[in-house]
Order: sequence, then structure tokens, then C-alpha cells
Amino acid sequence: MSARRVATRWRATARSEWIKLWSVRSVPAVLEAALVVVVVGGFVLGAGYRSGWASLSPADQASFDPTFTSLRGVELAQLFVGALGVLAVTGEYATGLIRTTLAATPQRAQLFAVKALVLGAVVWALCTAAAFAAFALGQSQFTGPAPHASLGGPGVLRAVAGGGLFLTGVALLGLALGALTRSTPLGLAAFFGVLLVLPLVVGLLPSGVGDRIGPYLPGEAGSQLWHVRPPSPESLGPWQGAGLFALYVAAAGAAALVLLRRRDV
Amino acid sequence: MIEAHGLTKRYGATTAVEGLDFRVEPGRVTGFLGPNGAGKSTTMRMILGLDLPTSGSVLVNGRRYQGLVWPLHEVGALLDARAVHPGRSAYRHLHSLAAANGIPRGRVDAVLEQVGLAGVAHRRVGGFSLGMSQRLGIAAALLGDPGVLLFDEPVNGLDPDGILWIRTLMRTLAAEGRTVLVSSHLMSEMALTADHLLVLGEGRLLADLPLDELIARGAADRVEVRAAEPERLAAELRELGAEVTREPDGLLRVVGVGAVTIGELAAARGHVLHQLRDANSSLEEAYFRLTEGSVVYRAPVPA
Amino acid sequence: MRENVTLSRRARAVLASEWIKISSLRSLRVTGLGALLFGVALAFLVCAGYHARWHALGVARQAAFQPVDTNLGFLQIAPLLFGVLGALVVTSEYGTGQIRGTFAATPQRPLVLAAKAVLVGGLGLVLSLVTVAGAFLVGQAQLAGAAPHASLGTPGAAGAVLGGALYLTLTALSGLLVGVLVRSTAVAVSTLAGVFLVLPVLVDSLPKGVVWRHTVPYLPSDLGLSLWHSRVDLLVRPLPAGLLFAGYVLVLGAAGLALLRVRDA
Repeated sequence: MSARRVATRWRATARSEWIKLWSVRSVPAVLEAALVVVVVGGFVLGAGYRSGWASLSPADQASFDPTFTSLRGVELAQLFVGALGVLAVTGEYATGLIRTTLAATPQRAQLFAVKALVLGAVVWALCTAAAFAAFALGQSQFTGPAPHASLGGPGVLRAVAGGGLFLTGVALLGLALGALTRSTPLGLAAFFGVLLVLPLVVGLLPSGVGDRIGPYLPGEAGSQLWHVRPPSPESLGPWQGAGLFALYVAAAGAAALVLLRRRDV
Repeated sequence: MIEAHGLTKRYGATTAVEGLDFRVEPGRVTGFLGPNGAGKSTTMRMILGLDLPTSGSVLVNGRRYQGLVWPLHEVGALLDARAVHPGRSAYRHLHSLAAANGIPRGRVDAVLEQVGLAGVAHRRVGGFSLGMSQRLGIAAALLGDPGVLLFDEPVNGLDPDGILWIRTLMRTLAAEGRTVLVSSHLMSEMALTADHLLVLGEGRLLADLPLDELIARGAADRVEVRAAEPERLAAELRELGAEVTREPDGLLRVVGVGAVTIGELAAARGHVLHQLRDANSSLEEAYFRLTEGSVVYRAPVPA
Repeated sequence: MRENVTLSRRARAVLASEWIKISSLRSLRVTGLGALLFGVALAFLVCAGYHARWHALGVARQAAFQPVDTNLGFLQIAPLLFGVLGALVVTSEYGTGQIRGTFAATPQRPLVLAAKAVLVGGLGLVLSLVTVAGAFLVGQAQLAGAAPHASLGTPGAAGAVLGGALYLTLTALSGLLVGVLVRSTAVAVSTLAGVFLVLPVLVDSLPKGVVWRHTVPYLPSDLGLSLWHSRVDLLVRPLPAGLLFAGYVLVLGAAGLALLRVRDA
């Protein structure tokens, strides 16, 4: 199979997935919700800090991070984006559409890869834009006594761009979990379990144990991408965290791929 | 053309299909018959590479399905009309399929026109009736103008107009030299549409022959007789081993003995016959006779 | 012969039908059992962990240790499971189209919702009592011998257990009503996760100024906290918290009723 033929096939599958993505109401709706949450969340939190600045202790005021605060909407948005990823696959299984899709594109690895690429590209473009918007809006709140950051500050640009990257990784994690579980409730359960419940559970454990495991959980590791300063001494640095997170996503994706090729549909 | 060699599919301890060897030839409509659970849908899924055979193989136009360059250009299939996202419009659903195999957009309009859904092209599929969903599925199968067509229960949900339309469509497609494989439960439809039959029972191929042959082979002798002394004649025919049923109006339905034998018996025993006629045997009968032993899900016939 | 079906007769019929449906849905059994096991297991793990590492904790932490709060920490996560339980009772019907059969059998939609609510409330109460009490007993047994521990007779302990059970029951009812409003399992689960898991983490870090004090304690997750946690300085008192949460549920119920009337099945 010549390279040109392969490229043609991949392009065709990409066009098909693009049409599918935008032809159902729920996708733009969920994406909108995620973007709104990122932008508005940062704004609201920023306003909250501005109005309550005086009541903060000097220590808290000193450790205040304006970039981090303006990006915190990302924490909520990851729910929507991940659910989108799960549904991108499980939706097809639920209706049985997956059979038609695989009849049109029997090369399952290609289909899965293209789905990931299309979803990833869309999420990355939109969420990165939202992160920058959230940053700008948030900083506009921090006039007066509260410090505000600029994109030139140390780690700031990386954190803001990291917000978009992190959300992309989350969407891909959802996609992989959806492909692994092939059922909407199970996929969502796996996704929320890994990203939300696991850190909370670990947080309940006595300090020594929790602190040691915590930084290596997927959500925690990936979040270092959009944190300016690591939250605790045991946290991974932004690039190590990103690397570990990418590893988790890749592992889930690889497992999904292996099963996809071996299973009946 | 579709070829199966020793096609076998097992799920754990259950065998869905075993050692299937058949060829579906172009230029004619091949009917896929069999009781529920016989393995027809499993076989169709294996043809499309959706389920992986436990052993054996099935080839389409000499290649495995995964080896086809643009599969929809070569094989079109209607497996499940409801396998569409309810929130999508018919047009977008077909467009996404067309794009996946480099089929030009114009074909989407063309097939929608062909199946009569052009008026509702931009409506949500979730609101379609069963018949409309069925026609959408047929449109999807026709998108790539394929040489091989698979239809699983295509007349399900169609009104008499629709049934006539699909029957004509399938015969036309076959006449154009395409390979058409239809799976259906409607005996009457199958008898009017199919040229050749593959009969499955409990995962095995029970018959692979032209329609007429199957009917002839499976047909029992059936004769309708009217006589001056029906009781006496019936008794004598029963002695010969025939099954005789007497209708209220005096008609005798005789199964198991030919018209010639009845005529000669009547002459020998001094009967006056008013009517001696071969009754047509049906595909339904032949089918039942053939698959008697292998029905998996059987409901008792109400008394 | 036209039988006059009294309201009470119809109500009993609907209740019976809903009970059969609920008791025969495997996903509900699995989720309910999962919630129970999760609560008890997490309490066990956390308390066993504290038992094992008691000596390594340091004097300050040992003095500040609250056995009941630590034991019931799983109540920060369990609301998600109980909420999903409530949501599934409705969203599973919408997902399969079963809801049409339900409304065909009983055109009086408010009655159907009421029956579902009664069952979710009742079953939720039983399950939550078993879960919280079970977790309490298991956890305190683990703490005994090394750390301070409590029994049901200890002042405040029984109240915390009951409060926790009430919290979970109210979240189950909230889940049911969210399910009625959004009609999709995925959206309901995402919303519940957002409200009960992510929101509290987000707002917790805000400065506790005037605005914070007048908004955050009234969030459902914080109201729930008031019902079982010992440190209630910034939160609403338990009794008003419970009533307010119940008020939220009633508002959701009114919205749900209104929408049920107007929408197609």
C-alpha cells in the first residue's frame, strides 16, 4: 500500500469523522459548556479573590497565584471534555452504528487513530483558545492590591498553553476508556473513577501514604501542565507530569486498540 | 461474488456456524433462509469482517473484507436499520458514510432520491418510522454503487408498495450482474424474489440449490380429490399410507400419494371421480420439511 | 363496564409497577451494591491506615484527629454514587425508550414521578443508613487500639451517622430529579460529578470574604457537609442545612414536574 493511498484513506476517514462529530447537537453543546466553564470559571474565581482580598491572611496573599486562579475552570471543564471523549465511541456502540462505521473502514486501528486525531485537534484548538481567554479575563480582575500576571512571566505561557493540552489529553483518555468499555455507563464510570474519585480517595488516606501516591495519579500528574507552581513538594514538575499523563493515555489507548482488533463487533 | 470455505464461528461452548462452504454468484438473487438462531446474521457479519471466524474464511470478490480498498464501493449492506444516531439527519448520516470511502456528495442525493427519502433528507433520523429507517439503510447500502449487496430482513416495516419496490430493486440489481444476498423470513416474498437458496439450520448448510429444485424436492405429493363416495375412497387411500383430510364441502386433501396412483385406485375399486388435481406445493412447505429438525426457538402452534 | 379507578388504587398500581422495574434493573443493583461496598471499604481503608501510622503522625495531628470525621470522609465522594443511583431510575427508561410504555400505562405523569421519588427516597434511606452505619462500625473498629475512636453512643456520633444518611438520601433524590430534567445518563452523571465533587474543591480555595460566606455554605455539597461534619464554624447549622437541601430538592421537583407535563415522552 503506497504512502499516497494510505494518506487518501486516512483523509477520507477523517472527513467522515469530522462530519459525524458536528452532525449531532450534543457535541457542540458539550464543547460549549466546557469552554464557557473554563472562561467563566476563571472570571468568577478571579472576582471572588478580588472582592475577598482584604480578608486573606498575609501568608495567603503572598502565595496567591493569579495565573493558576484564572485557569481553574479547567478543573470543571475536564468533566465535560472527558465525557465527550467517552461518548464519541460508546455512542456508536449504543446505537449499533459502529458496525456501519467498521464496514466502511474495516481497518480498525486506522479508525481509532483518526477518531482520536479529529477529536484531539478540535478539543485542543478550542480549549487552548478558551484558556487564553480565561487568563486574559482573570487578569483583568486583578487590579489594585492583588497581583496579576502577564504572559511573559515565568511559567505563565506554559501554564496557559498547558490548559489546552491537558484538556486534550483528558478527551483522549475518555476516548480510550470508551473504546475499552464499549458502554456509556461503564465508560463514564471508569473515567470519573480514574480522574475524580481516585484522587479524592487517596486524599482521605493518612498523610504519608496519600502524599506519596497522589502525585502519580493521572489527573494529578497531567494537571501539572497548567499549574504555575507545583502544589506540594512531592508534585512532579510540569513536563514530568505531562509525560506520565501522556503515558497513561497511551497505555489506555494501546489496550483499547488491541482489544478492538481482536473482538467481534 | 462471495465465497465461504469451512466457515466456523464458536462462542465458547456454543457453535453458531459450522463448516460453511458456499458461493454466492453474481447475476442472481440468492436467498438466505433458516430458522431464528441458525446463524444467518452471524454469517453476514463475518462476510463484512465485523465478527472474526473461529476457523475457515470468507472472501468477497476474492479478497478478505479488510483487504478491500474502498469497501463500500464493492459491498453494500443493510444489517440493522436502527443502527443510526437518532440526533443526526439522514443526509448527514449518508454523507459521513460517503466521505469515509471517497464517494462524491452527489451520490448522497442520488440514493436518497432512489429510495424516496429526498423530502425528509434533513430531518432527524430519530423521528423516522420503521419503514423510513429501512429505506435509509437501503440507501446506505447503495451509496457506493457496489457489485455485492447484502440485505438482512429488508422488507421489515415496509408497506405493500415498499415491498414491491424492494423486490423489483433486488431483481434489477441482480439483472445488472451484481451479487445479491437476501436474508428473510417471509416465505412468500422469498419465493417471488430469490433465484437460488442457501438454507441454514443449527449452523450448518442444509441446502444450496435453485429455488425450483428446492420446492420440487421438498414437495410432497399433494392431490385434491372430489369423489362420489368420499368416505370409502378416503379409507382406501389411508390403507395405502396416505394422509387424507376431509373438508366440510366434501373435498379430500390427500398427501403422500400421487394423482396417478389415486386415479388407478379409483378405477380399480369403482369410484366416480369429480375432480383429481395436483395442488401446488409451496416454498414454505419445502422449507419446513427441510428444517424440521433444526428449529432452535419454536413456539407451540395454538390449537 | 367502566370501572372507576380511584387515585389511591392507581397510585398503588404505579408504585407496584415502579417497584418491579427498580428491583429488576441490574444496573441499579450493581450501583447500589457498589455504593455500599465503596463506602464501607473506603472507611475501612482510611481508618486502618490511620491505625497503622498513628505513631508517625506527630503530636499536632494526633491532637487534632477527629475519629468520626475521618471515618465518614467517604461522604465527600459517595453522593456521586447515590446521585447516579437516583438518576438511573429515570435515565435508563429514557435511554431505552421504555418511558413511552410507562407513560402509556399511566398517563398521569406526576403520579409516576411521585412513585419513583417515593421509592428512591425510601430505598435510598435504607441503603444509606446501612452504608453509613456499616462504615462507621467497621471504621471505628479499625481505629480502636491505637487511635481515639468513638461508638454510636458517643455524643454526636449517632447524629453524624443519621446526618450522613440523610445527606445521601437527599442526593439520591436530587439525582432522580436531575435525571428527569436532562433525560440522559451521561449528562446527569457529569452534572452530579461537577456539583458534588469538583465544585467543593474549586470554591474551597477561595478567600473566605464576605461574598464567600454568603454563597458557598449554601452549595449542596457544603449543606451536606453541615449534616455530618463536626467542624461547622463556617457552615450552616445542621437543621437549617437539612431543610434548605430539602428545599432545593423540592424546587428541582417542581421544575421536573413542569417539564414532564409539557414534553413528549
